[in-house]
Amino acid sequence: MSTTLPEVPQGLLEVDLHEGSAIVQLDATLYPLPAIYAATYAFIDRAYVLLDRPAEGRVRVTLWSKQPETTAQALHDLVGELANEVLAGAFRHRLTQDNQAIVETVTMQAMAGAMGPPSLEDLADFDFTDTALDDPLGIAQSWEEKHKKKAPQSPDAPEPEGTP
Amino acid sequence: MISMAELQPVAGTQAQFSFREVGDKVLITNREGRWLLLEAQEFTAYARGQVEAGSDLHTRLRDDGFLREGYEVSTAAERLRARSSFVHGGPNLHMFVVTLRCNETCAYCHASRANMDAVHTDMTKGTAERAVDLVLRSTSPFVTIEFQGGEPLVNYEVVQHIVNYATERNAEIGKQLEFTMVSNFGLLDEEKLDWLLEHRVQLCTSVDGPEALHNAQRKLPTGDAHQRTVHWIRRINERYAELGLDPTLYHVEALLTTTRATLPQWKEVVDCYVKLGCRSLFLRPIDPFGFAERTRRRLEYPRAEYLEYYRNAVDYMLELNAQGVEILERYAAIFLTKILGGHDPNYLDLRSPAGAGIGALAYDYDGNVYTCDEGRMLAASGDRSFQIGNVHESAYRDLVGHPTVRALAIATNLDTQPDCVHCTYQPYCGTNAAFNYKTQGTIFGRMRDNAVCAVHKGIQDYLFGKLAEGDPQVLDTFERWTTVRPRDHFIQPAPTSEP
Repeated sequence: MSTTLPEVPQGLLEVDLHEGSAIVQLDATLYPLPAIYAATYAFIDRAYVLLDRPAEGRVRVTLWSKQPETTAQALHDLVGELANEVLAGAFRHRLTQDNQAIVETVTMQAMAGAMGPPSLEDLADFDFTDTALDDPLGIAQSWEEKHKKKAPQSPDAPEPEGTP
Repeated sequence: MISMAELQPVAGTQAQFSFREVGDKVLITNREGRWLLLEAQEFTAYARGQVEAGSDLHTRLRDDGFLREGYEVSTAAERLRARSSFVHGGPNLHMFVVTLRCNETCAYCHASRANMDAVHTDMTKGTAERAVDLVLRSTSPFVTIEFQGGEPLVNYEVVQHIVNYATERNAEIGKQLEFTMVSNFGLLDEEKLDWLLEHRVQLCTSVDGPEALHNAQRKLPTGDAHQRTVHWIRRINERYAELGLDPTLYHVEALLTTTRATLPQWKEVVDCYVKLGCRSLFLRPIDPFGFAERTRRRLEYPRAEYLEYYRNAVDYMLELNAQGVEILERYAAIFLTKILGGHDPNYLDLRSPAGAGIGALAYDYDGNVYTCDEGRMLAASGDRSFQIGNVHESAYRDLVGHPTVRALAIATNLDTQPDCVHCTYQPYCGTNAAFNYKTQGTIFGRMRDNAVCAVHKGIQDYLFGKLAEGDPQVLDTFERWTTVRPRDHFIQPAPTSEP
């Protein structure tokens, strides 16, 4: 049976002790989606987590505790932790945007400082067929390669999947 | 004391600053790590932009980069660069878990040990060689291989092999190479000691305080762990003296693990370390890795209790220093080096970004490589989030360029952290991603209810409180604690050229 917590504004939170679950609705204009993803992901060791969008501008988080017998206090703590984590995530998201230049510079220097330049051995081992060199649009193909006549298909060739 | 409503800062007068009340004064710091302790009325005048030009306060503020007027960008950049020099350094600390087997059973250590018959947890020579090859690929010109366990002396043959192999390989590479070993000394004998001294392996140990406390926490079947450790500390110190090494610089240092039982015994712990001839004591709180929940409740404690213990112990150490006994607290020395010295001593968990992967690597007995020792302990509990490769499969650049290393460098950059970004202590501080992950579920953590943050803030409150009091004797001791005397004897000698 669903109930609410008195300290939380009406409609934002429902808890179901019997199911060991809590439903929290978040205002998507207050909390950016990356922050909600990051915050809720941190709970998947303690709870099963489902996100959905019940209405425009709303994100609904459903948490089912993984504990077999969940107390009201445990659910209360779970929701409180989630609320704090979402706020921390939103703030961090903002700070990362504000300080993007300095964070990128420091990270790049730290990684470059630790990795150093590639040695000849590294270059010899480098996989030049890596996905970064994939060409899905065929931009690097010549006109002849791209538009050449395809060979007629063998009558023994298997039917492509999905053919009725 | 300070009413925010009365401050009314005036745009265009102050340069960037953060502030915090310390006792009856106000501490201000800036990005470059400069700081001033102001009287309340001085701070109010500063915050309101009403400091009279030409006044003593104006000069102090301007000289330390707290005013827009006269702010020298190039000087500020130099200061910032000096504080962040480690960023370019690359991994210099390489922790080798040569075995998980251990002759002692410690109350707080489960993930890091195995019983003496678990020979499958010994590092093989082949794995050790691949790990050394990776160490010597580090971009850092200074590398230290630290033997850990378990008890490294259990796999002494591989320790010897690593020392010999690394020294030989390094002859052509020419890094400044050092070896340290963290051992309980329970399996040490004169023959092994001869070899370790001859090969300049620095020896460290663990001492949990007085005999009863130590033996209750670190158990040997014979019940005499403390006695054995103390015997070998004294013996090694004698041998250093016989080699003509300065005993004030060359002596066995020990590591303390602070459990709930340690807290009321702060005086006994300090006295024990002084009696053993140690010059430094690291009052580390217990970390949450590697022991079960039930054990955690027995050993853990609220951080407020820890901070009271810390203050009591360091107050006592300062008293001893005033009487001529030289003993320093390691946490304080690290912070004070940054606060008073203006440079960073490169302690991996107290820098931004932290050293996981970019400053240190941990090599497990099976060849798995982790960003840090805590990450290795998490893996022992089944969570491999901090594993970045294996010595048999991974190239050096794959390890340090691993996405996990990059994520940790971003997560431990205090410019991305709520609280830290505005914290007065940001220039001197750092965060530990593995601790955050273990205790709060993400590598970022939340500093407002983070135990490491509480400890760092509490210690810095204490240190700035002492600086504000201005006792000349204490200031003199603090200055001394920031003086680093290199132990050159432990650097492996350069190979002599062939005749």
